[in-house]
Parts: sequence; structure tokens; C-alpha cells
Amino acid sequence: MTLTATSFDWVRQVVHRESAIVLAPGKEYLVEARLLPIARQMGLADVGQLVDNVRTRPSPENTRRIVEALTTNETSWFRDGDPFTALTTTVLPALLAARGAGERLQIWSAACSSGQEAYTIAMLLEDAMPNAAGRVSITATDLSREMVERTRAGRFSQLEVNRGLPASMLVRHFTRAGSEWEVNASLRRMVTATECNLAAPLPRMGPFDVVYLRNVLIYFDLPTKQAILRRVRSLMRPDGWLFLGAAETTLGVDDSWERVVLGRSSAYRPLKGA
Amino acid sequence: MTAFDTAERRRATDARPVITELIDEATIQSIAEQAWISLVGEEEVLVPLPAELPADVLSSWVDVVGPWTGSVVLTTGRRTAEELSRALLRDSAPPVLDEEDVVDAFGEIANVVGGSIKATLPGHSALSLPSVGASPEVRNASDVCRIDLLWRGEPVAISVQGALPALPSSPDPHHPADPDRSTYENEVPL
Amino acid sequence: MRALVIDDSRAMRRIVSSILTGFGYEVRDAGHGGEALEVLNEGWVPDLATIDWNMPVMDGLQFVSAVRANPAWRSMTMMMVTSESEHTQIVRALAAGAHEYVIKPFTADAIRDKLALLGLLPQEVVL
Repeated sequence: MTLTATSFDWVRQVVHRESAIVLAPGKEYLVEARLLPIARQMGLADVGQLVDNVRTRPSPENTRRIVEALTTNETSWFRDGDPFTALTTTVLPALLAARGAGERLQIWSAACSSGQEAYTIAMLLEDAMPNAAGRVSITATDLSREMVERTRAGRFSQLEVNRGLPASMLVRHFTRAGSEWEVNASLRRMVTATECNLAAPLPRMGPFDVVYLRNVLIYFDLPTKQAILRRVRSLMRPDGWLFLGAAETTLGVDDSWERVVLGRSSAYRPLKGA
Repeated sequence: MTAFDTAERRRATDARPVITELIDEATIQSIAEQAWISLVGEEEVLVPLPAELPADVLSSWVDVVGPWTGSVVLTTGRRTAEELSRALLRDSAPPVLDEEDVVDAFGEIANVVGGSIKATLPGHSALSLPSVGASPEVRNASDVCRIDLLWRGEPVAISVQGALPALPSSPDPHHPADPDRSTYENEVPL
Repeated sequence: MRALVIDDSRAMRRIVSSILTGFGYEVRDAGHGGEALEVLNEGWVPDLATIDWNMPVMDGLQFVSAVRANPAWRSMTMMMVTSESEHTQIVRALAAGAHEYVIKPFTADAIRDKLALLGLLPQEVVL
């Protein structure tokens, strides 16, 4: 056991602050089991070192990974389904009408984790807009190399494909690969995965027509939120669309966005001249 | 004769696959972890460490019949099997578990693990309903893939083992086929 | 909302029932397809049936076909909850008339997500 009481308390406080989830005393083994892979990936020997590392050099990205490792087992496919419905019913038809026939559309799934969001978008395109699917490319980025590699591989565990993926889409878009399921090659071809740290200057990408930046901003302080939104906007087309998480907004953070209600969800568009 | 020789000779004479050609320990481990998360509890951890099983053990298994035919067998101490059953039933566990509760719950874990293992095998296979009792015998030592785990500090073994004896051309001196003791005669009546 | 949980394992019936009860369902259960048909024939037709595949007497697929053959039961949503997890098996079940498919092992979140997809989550459950 490498986890001291002080380290465990620190983890408890962080998880409670970021997610409002309470880790009861006695859950040290859970913290060990879930955080050890993160520690190993960062080249650290154990969870104690991971905690020391993040405590002495605070990093929202690493905090997010710790919180996510302890609070979510799997990411859902159609997590908060409405932002996906809006994509094929409103957003893409509008963009396709506005662009020339040969012009490509680019979608960015930022902080993509293991790729569920990017592949959800790809499946929707193939099913609902098969004629347009060939004109769309999807860029998936994550801070973690491991997540980028998982996204590229497009392989998901049984538990992962059980989470909010309609069975009809599972059988249409996946094949079995050992104990896992693999996304079909046609979808993998639509998705390009690459490493990217949202809190640092962004690589040359885009320009993007649609950006999914969901459940990311909540982990950052106000100045960093503002910087991220500014950088994201610089990679977007002027008539692009930004989707945030259900509990996130640009209001009070960055006033250069216009909020647009789309059915039961909402999106943000760059304000002209802002 | 070494196990290696046995496998080589078998391959030369027969197309029947052995389980080690079809699945590895890491796959069984990941299947078991997912079954535990789902059935036993979302925070349950299985540690891949071998440990001696107690004298009083109980097994639950399902049979897989297809291109590969055999059983997926979970074995653990009787008390651990009861603890697993209690964890499965959670709030609806009665104060005292009867034999039927344990047979049912422990059998369901074998069903879920066996179903996932079956899905990784080539071709179509059928799955039997679960059985609980004394483990079916290992018929062919080279047709076994087994992992040993610790759950809450207690040993749990998962063995994916062929139902058919080694072919006559490659007899297994450690586990001679015994025609008088079929798999099902070991089964405890439910 | 009503749900009928069909599984030969008592432990599994309890697990699924307790998840559905948590979402506000009124739940009955059955140990195989034949018992489940008896419940339907009584006139207790639920909004949702969760159906195991491998069961004695009448298996899940036979039950799905039997339900499909009776127009009076058309309003019932049928969700397989089974350890049968091969691609071809899922296709077979959907072709026979099952609406959704949850593979064992599953978590409570998986059931919630599927019910949300089906529009069968009666209470607004906060993530």
C-alpha cells in the first residue's frame, strides 16, 4: 500500500470539489486500482508519487484524469443525446447548404477520451447523411497519448459498448475482435486522432465547422477557460458551431459568443466582429 | 513427453483446436474483471495473484459446444462463493443464504463469464445453462487456459478447459481419460 | 410504468428488478418465457420486458417471437438482457423483434442509458 492518509484525503477533496462525489473512507483500494494506470503512464512508480506530483505541480489536465478515473467507468455513446440530434437535423444541413459542393466540412471532438464522441458523430453521419459523410472529416484530440491511441484503434470493451449505443448501431458499425468490439474501417477512416493540450497554444488544425468541447471547461479556472475559448474560436470558421457540456456555458466567461437554442440543447456561435 | 511435444503431435494429426490457440490469460482476466464490475460491484477489484484454494471448494460452470467444446469453470472456497452470492444479491440478500441462492447466484457468474468467453471463440457455439458443484475434471492438460485471481483477498480460479480427452496419439500421462467419471456425474443435484 | 423481468437466475431477476424499481417501475418477474406468457395472458402487459436468452422451458428468442405474433402485445418494448454476445446473435434477436439488447455483464448505468434511448426512463435521473 503506497497511499498515505494525507494523499487519500487530498484525492477525496479534489474529487469532491470537482464532481461533488464523496469517496468514503476505506476506498483507498479503489483509488489505488484506478489511479495506478495513470501513475504508470506518467512514468511514476505508484499512486503516492502521482499525488505528490500533482500536488506540487497543479495541472488541470492531470486533475481531470484523476477525477474521471474515479468517477466514470465508461463514457456513454450518445451522452446527453441532444447535441448529436442537433448535428444532423440542423447544424450540418445548414453548413452543407452554405458551402460549395466540393468543400469539406471539419468537425473537432476536443478531449475525446477513448473516442466515443468522435465515432458517435461518424455513425450518425453514415446513417443519417450517407451522401454527405464523404465530405466530412473528424479530428479527435486528447491530452493523453493513451487515449489518442485508443481512439485510433477504435476498440471498445463489452461494458463500453453497452453504454448508450443502440444495438442496431452496434451490429451495423462494429465487429467483434476477441473480447472487444472494433469500429468498422469506414468509420475509422473518417476520424483522425492526435494529441493536443487545450491549455497550451494549439497546433495548426482546422478551420473547424463544428467543435464538441464538452465537460472540459468545468475543470479549469476562469482565465484558463477564457484562453481556451479564445484559442478554440481562432480555429473555427466564422459561421461555425460550438457544443459545450450540459452544465457549461460561455456566458460570464467570454462574451464573444452567441448562444443558439437547438431543440432541447444549445450551441454557441462566434459573434460577428467580436 | 513434454506438453510441447503433445501439442505439436496433436496439431500434426488433428484440426481440433485447443483452447490456448483461441484465448489467452489476459483476455480471460479482462472478461472476469468486467463480469465482477457488473455483477459483484462497480468497485470490485480482481488481483491476478495465484494463491492456494482452500480444501472446501465449490465450482460453477457452463459448457460451450461448438468448434471448441469444453467448460468455463469458476472455482473458489465455499465461503467465498457464498460471499460472492451475497454481493450479487446486494440489498435483496436474505439474512441466511440457502443452498439454492448460492447455486443460482454463483451459477449466474459462470454464465456471464462463459458467455463472454464463448463470444471470443471462432464460429458459432452453444452455451449450456449453468451448473454448480464439484468441478468437471480436466480431461486434457494441454487444452486448458486457467487464471488465478484474488477477490477481497480470497482465491478464485477460472479455468477454460476442453471436454474431450487428448487424442490417443498424444496421451496425457497426468490426466488419463476415465470413462467411468463423466463431467456431469460430478454435478451436485440442484 | 411497468416492467416484466424474465430470467432463469433469481439473482439476476433481483438485480434487474432493483435497477428498474429505482427508476420508478412497477416490476414483476418470470423464470422463463412460458411463465412470462402466463403473466401477459393474465392481462398484465408491461411497457417493458427485459429478456434473458438461455432459459429452460421457453427461451428468450421463442418468447420474443410469441409476443410478436400477438398484436395485443405490440405496445410492449422488448429488451434482451443476456450473456449471448456474438454479433450474429444480436442480429438474430433484433430480426426476431427485440427492440434493444444489453449484453451481460452490464452496469446499472447501461440499463439507464438504454431506457433513455427508448424513451422509457420515467423519472428524470440526474447523472
